[in-house]
Amino acid sequence: MVKQDKDVEASAEELEVIARGLIEMVVGDKDNTAVRRGLRMGKLGFGLAGSYLGYHIQNLFLGESQRAERRKLFNALAALQVREELQSLKGPIMKLGQMLSMQSQVLPEEVVHELANLQMRAPAMHSTLTRAQFKGGYGKFPEEVFEQFTAEPFAAASLGQVHRAITRTGEQVAVKIQYPAIRSAIENDFKLLRSVSLPAWLTRFAPEAVIAELEAGILKETDYINEGKNIDFFREQLRPLAYVKIPKVFWDLTSDRVLTMSFVLGQPLSDFISKGNPSAQMRNEIGSRLLALFAYQLRHVHSLHADPHPGNYLIDGSGGIGLVDFGCVKKFSPEFIELGRVFRQPDWYTSKERSYQMARLTWGPKVANRPRVARRLLDGVKDLYDTVFGARAPVDFGDPNLLRKMVHLWTESIRSKGVNPEFAFYGRAEMGLYNVLHQLRAKIDTASVLATLDPTHKEM
Amino acid sequence: MRFADHSIMNTKKSGKRPSPASQKTGRGPTARPRSGKRAENKERTRKEILQAALELFSKKGFDRTTAKQISDRAGIAEGTLYNYFKTKEDVALYFFEQELKALFDWYREHDSLHGKPLSEKFFAIVYQHLEQMNPYQDFIGAVYLRAFQPASKLSPLRVETQERNLRYLRFIKEVIEDSEEEGLIRRLGEVAAYAFGLFHFAIITYWLQDSSRGKERTLALLDRSLKIGDSLLKIATSVLERTNWKW
Repeated sequence: MVKQDKDVEASAEELEVIARGLIEMVVGDKDNTAVRRGLRMGKLGFGLAGSYLGYHIQNLFLGESQRAERRKLFNALAALQVREELQSLKGPIMKLGQMLSMQSQVLPEEVVHELANLQMRAPAMHSTLTRAQFKGGYGKFPEEVFEQFTAEPFAAASLGQVHRAITRTGEQVAVKIQYPAIRSAIENDFKLLRSVSLPAWLTRFAPEAVIAELEAGILKETDYINEGKNIDFFREQLRPLAYVKIPKVFWDLTSDRVLTMSFVLGQPLSDFISKGNPSAQMRNEIGSRLLALFAYQLRHVHSLHADPHPGNYLIDGSGGIGLVDFGCVKKFSPEFIELGRVFRQPDWYTSKERSYQMARLTWGPKVANRPRVARRLLDGVKDLYDTVFGARAPVDFGDPNLLRKMVHLWTESIRSKGVNPEFAFYGRAEMGLYNVLHQLRAKIDTASVLATLDPTHKEM
Repeated sequence: MRFADHSIMNTKKSGKRPSPASQKTGRGPTARPRSGKRAENKERTRKEILQAALELFSKKGFDRTTAKQISDRAGIAEGTLYNYFKTKEDVALYFFEQELKALFDWYREHDSLHGKPLSEKFFAIVYQHLEQMNPYQDFIGAVYLRAFQPASKLSPLRVETQERNLRYLRFIKEVIEDSEEEGLIRRLGEVAAYAFGLFHFAIITYWLQDSSRGKERTLALLDRSLKIGDSLLKIATSVLERTNWKW
């Protein structure tokens, strides 16, 4: 695995021995393949003080609470529960892991589905660190600029955490504060990732273009100024959808590490489903709105809020949808917009020319030039979209077969390599949407939802 | 691995903390105990000299500042200056003394830390120290280099600095004992205070050369190391419990 960098190898080996010793002491398990597997992953970042991933791996091995819990964790690893494993690693590389797993043949489709649902989490900050980091990122302590600032966070964000506060002018705000030096930690992780030669099963599915796209995406997320601009953009663009609520950025209380925005009321979608006990009608309504929101972004905004985790939708009492977390936003290239246009032509599947264009734009020329592979993939697309958008009756997203079809299609397309990197993000977003609709058990009259968006086109 | 009860670090503990005043030790040429207004005035002058010196250090640098400049700025005769500080290094020593005292006072006044995990208390202490020293970074950097010369008064091996170190260790020991009394941790003993002292020193060294914005790398390093330290402590505790080791 680690071949090129001698220093990295040496320190990783040493630490592995230490870690193994510790684990044997604590867990008392001398021959645990899962542990060994964990260590293999751990070599990527273990012991590197500047590595975000390394930090989490250290936590994984050193444990934070009781021995029983550690044992539980290792049992989970042993049971090959990939989600548990990656939740413990958490770091930004988790996103990579997530993507790689989506592309890898070793994982069953159910696991891939689980992975689409994962969220990145930064380490928690205690109140002293929060205050210090606010000063570091903004220049003043929170108590110097807010009327009131709640030291305990109310939500975890991908790179930090979110606190409630009241401004000097009396407005309720959410203040997102980034964990210190996370940008350099991520950069280190990627440097390391490139410096070691990865196991073949990983590299086969992670061409440099994909890794570079991923790195650029994650690094962009660390700049809260950029996120603030995204919020402003979507707030403006999504104005026509009256039920969508997007926060307002308080630019004078914002820097690249601190983002202050108006507080959006509502219950996270996951809570709304599990605790809110919504009626079938409400679930269908929310589902329709989410689908419309997604399609509207594709067609008219040409950008996508690309992190459709259930925690990022806030549902209020009247069925309004608050959108938060705009760190991961995909602005589509002209090529991708063209793809959408081709896809909305009635003859995209039957016309030889159009289907070739479609295959080339989606999977690249390599696949497009292999007609049989291309045709098989196009069949998959047609099958899925016929099910979702061609039906006359409302589509039941609660049906697990639908989700399975979707996951299968993505796994298939990505396995064929040559994937357009833009697709990695899009794919994740679409899979996330279907997953949310599935959790909602929404029955949606897809045709009429799309018709309301754009009367001239019946198909997406 | 406990020190005997007559250990020099053992200042307490009959339930009460020593008052900050009892820790104040006069040093250098004014080590003789004084009382009343005179001593107060002397202390004020001493602080004024320090202020003048710090302003000059940050403007001209530590090495290029002369005694004459300091006394001029402080508005006293050059001869008087020597009654207070024999050398520039004495001024530096006094500075560190004051910083540390301010840190102790700060901790004792901060009840909000009560009941917080030891790692957070340690974080708060180091962070507060760094915040206090923030305006004087250049000066501290210059003095740091000097401290490596064995003949320097600032050398960690000098008796004078040892006294300060001891006061510091007693303080840290007190912080640890607070956590022990709050039932947050097992007895750690004095080794922990030494270990934290070294760590604290290492963080300051890192902080001095940290050019990241808002010193965020230092914050991250501090947070991570303390969390790792915390985890190691828990593992060690659990291992020792299993093997029934006594310490």
